[in-house]
Amino acid sequence: MKFIVSSSELSKQLQSISGVLNTNNTLPILDDFLFEVNKNSLVVSASDLETTVSCSVDIESKDEGSIAVPARLLLDTLKTFPEQPLTFLMDTENLGIEISSDYGKYKLTGHNSDEFPKIPVIEGGNSLEMDSAVLIRALSKTLFATGNDELRPVMNGVLVELSSDGMTFVATDAHKLVKYQRTDAKADSTASFIIPKKPLNLLKNIMPEEGDDFKIKIEYNESNTFFSFKNINLICRLIDGKYPNYDAVIPKENPNKLHVDRAAFLNCIKRVSIFANKTTHQVKLKVTGSELHVSAEDLDFANEANERITCNYEGEDIEIGFNSRFLIEMLANLDTEEVLLEMSAPNKAGILSEVKGDSKEDGEDLLMLVMPVMLNN
Amino acid sequence: MYNRAIVHIDLDAFFVSCERLIDSSLNGKPVLVGGTSGRGVVAACSYEARAYGIHSAMPMRMAQQLCPHAIVIKGNGGTYSKYSDAVTDIIKEHAPLYEKSSIDEFYIDVSGMDKFYGCYKWAKELRNTIIKETGLPISFGLSTNKTVAKVSTNEAKPNNYMEVAQGVEKPFLAPLSIKKIPMVGDQTYKMLQGMGIEHIHTVQEMPIELMERLLGKNGIAIWKKAQGIDNTPVVAYNERKSISSSITFERDTIDIRKLKDILSTMAEKLAFYLRNGKKLTSCVTVTVRYSDFDTRSRQVRVPYTSCDHTLIKKVIGLFDLLYNRRVLARLVGVRYSHLVEGAYQINLFEDTEEMINLYQAMDKIRNRFGQNSVRRVVTMDTRGVGMMSNPFNGLPPVIPAHRRA
Repeated sequence: MKFIVSSSELSKQLQSISGVLNTNNTLPILDDFLFEVNKNSLVVSASDLETTVSCSVDIESKDEGSIAVPARLLLDTLKTFPEQPLTFLMDTENLGIEISSDYGKYKLTGHNSDEFPKIPVIEGGNSLEMDSAVLIRALSKTLFATGNDELRPVMNGVLVELSSDGMTFVATDAHKLVKYQRTDAKADSTASFIIPKKPLNLLKNIMPEEGDDFKIKIEYNESNTFFSFKNINLICRLIDGKYPNYDAVIPKENPNKLHVDRAAFLNCIKRVSIFANKTTHQVKLKVTGSELHVSAEDLDFANEANERITCNYEGEDIEIGFNSRFLIEMLANLDTEEVLLEMSAPNKAGILSEVKGDSKEDGEDLLMLVMPVMLNN
Repeated sequence: MYNRAIVHIDLDAFFVSCERLIDSSLNGKPVLVGGTSGRGVVAACSYEARAYGIHSAMPMRMAQQLCPHAIVIKGNGGTYSKYSDAVTDIIKEHAPLYEKSSIDEFYIDVSGMDKFYGCYKWAKELRNTIIKETGLPISFGLSTNKTVAKVSTNEAKPNNYMEVAQGVEKPFLAPLSIKKIPMVGDQTYKMLQGMGIEHIHTVQEMPIELMERLLGKNGIAIWKKAQGIDNTPVVAYNERKSISSSITFERDTIDIRKLKDILSTMAEKLAFYLRNGKKLTSCVTVTVRYSDFDTRSRQVRVPYTSCDHTLIKKVIGLFDLLYNRRVLARLVGVRYSHLVEGAYQINLFEDTEEMINLYQAMDKIRNRFGQNSVRRVVTMDTRGVGMMSNPFNGLPPVIPAHRRA
């Protein structure tokens, strides 16, 4: 089996899907790319058993066949070539691979393509189409809030709820929660599933920058979701489990409303948090009248910071403690000039949202919730 | 003249001295302070009692056999703390930099005071002030570093003082027994003695490499101390790295329920200290000592917390893993370590508002009406789990003399 391919094109495509490769695999075949040649098209796949990504590359060939190629070796080699045609000569019988470039020849040994895990096929699933911009935005708003706890796998993914009214994306790590709703992107049927964060991160990185809008086709059933766009296909196993009832923990009555300039608030917290304890990053917010006091201290080093910024506040005076990391992440992921922080009690969640003025009819709704720390005074 | 001058102050037979202040009829008699039950040990003994061969950490029974007419007092930690604090206050008033290294010991850094006053003279005056104001007998040693100062205090005792000037540290240490070096415990002493090392001058003449081969890193430390080298600074603030609680039973027990109740009590109490000190723990350790002194402990890392309901569960879980010998237990203990400053991060799904409010209410009640005013039902029956004041006040834990390493 022989084919000729542009070195930079192949390198670019392999780089984009290489994110799925783990550094230490239990199965050696997972360190390989699967090459499937079918006349003038090459399909390269990478898998970690949970997620499989494949991309197609144009080649020149008359043959058909498949072989698994050591990924690291190939990636490292391709990176060093300037743009030029490369000739791959692959022997599917004794698994020898020979690459010829302008400079010379390189030989490596592949593996039998049968060893490569079978790529699941979605049968009897539903499908929908979605704008790439919507998906990119939904992912960038939610992914940061996912958890990392192996004991609670459902929180290591993003919950996607589809209905004929719109779509909802939810992520939480039990300390913070983000709910992103779109009313302008709809599905035909009602469904909900949890997609692990690794393939979503991968997807976010593969998808071209905003501005270049295209449609993404999504297919799903009980166990898998399948994304396809342009020359890329991504299929991943869904997280099996019950997502916590997030709506029940979002407080409905929040009488204390704080309007504040987002950039000023973010910068204030960034500065003050430098003086907070390096492990717990806790800051204290104290609102009295129209003044917001932000303070932090690290008793171990006798560090202390106090700042005050003006805000627009309705409600009773309140003193509430937060992990500054969470606040910083959230404020950085909001876009408007002004944000609204709604609170009810020092032991109950604070809710951050964007203040959009009159032009609220853009079909999206973003809610960020952060749990406070238990202050005892 | 000193480049560095360190004074080590030690209150002689501190617990006994306190008892004598309360009851002067004890003066001049052999007095023992310590546990009076079967398992009790001598925490402090008067110099009259020492004449009978009694020393601290000796089982109380043995001490009573040695000196049947000795007066035994159970002792009261609270009273001793009060006297200790009184001494601390005097030192705080006079000393530029001091370290309270235990309930009855202090280090004071008086470097540079020579220039104006004289370190020795200053220390003597401080001693007189303390004696005058508290009535407690006190000894001190003055030297160039903490180790030599401490050794010289021990040489000066009782109720006396001593100076080891700069340059004569080594000859001062040379004739003393190696046992006098802080750090050389029974085990090390026996080992060195077995090799014919009896006096510090032998260690002084040994090559450092040999000590390292014998005792590892500790060997180097002991060798340095033997040379009179010790650069450790006087640290004013003592940061707690862990808090723990343990109990040795009057009688060994195999009553699992009782053991678990006691562990729950300790877990609850320590968690309260954490919350009061605005601390969180991320490592829980449980220790069990069986009746044959076989001591086992197990630890587990947890997400930062200060909530008893999670910590008690962890403690009981560890105990279930640990206690598997079906042998009587002599001691159980709980320790929280890897402490950080901070308040508990409330969990969105696992914690309810009621739970958090309950913690705050309980802590409020405890701070107002005492630690035992509210407690869990399982912990109602357990008594004798040690109480302490705020463990995060920057002072060292109150460890009686006999438990010191």
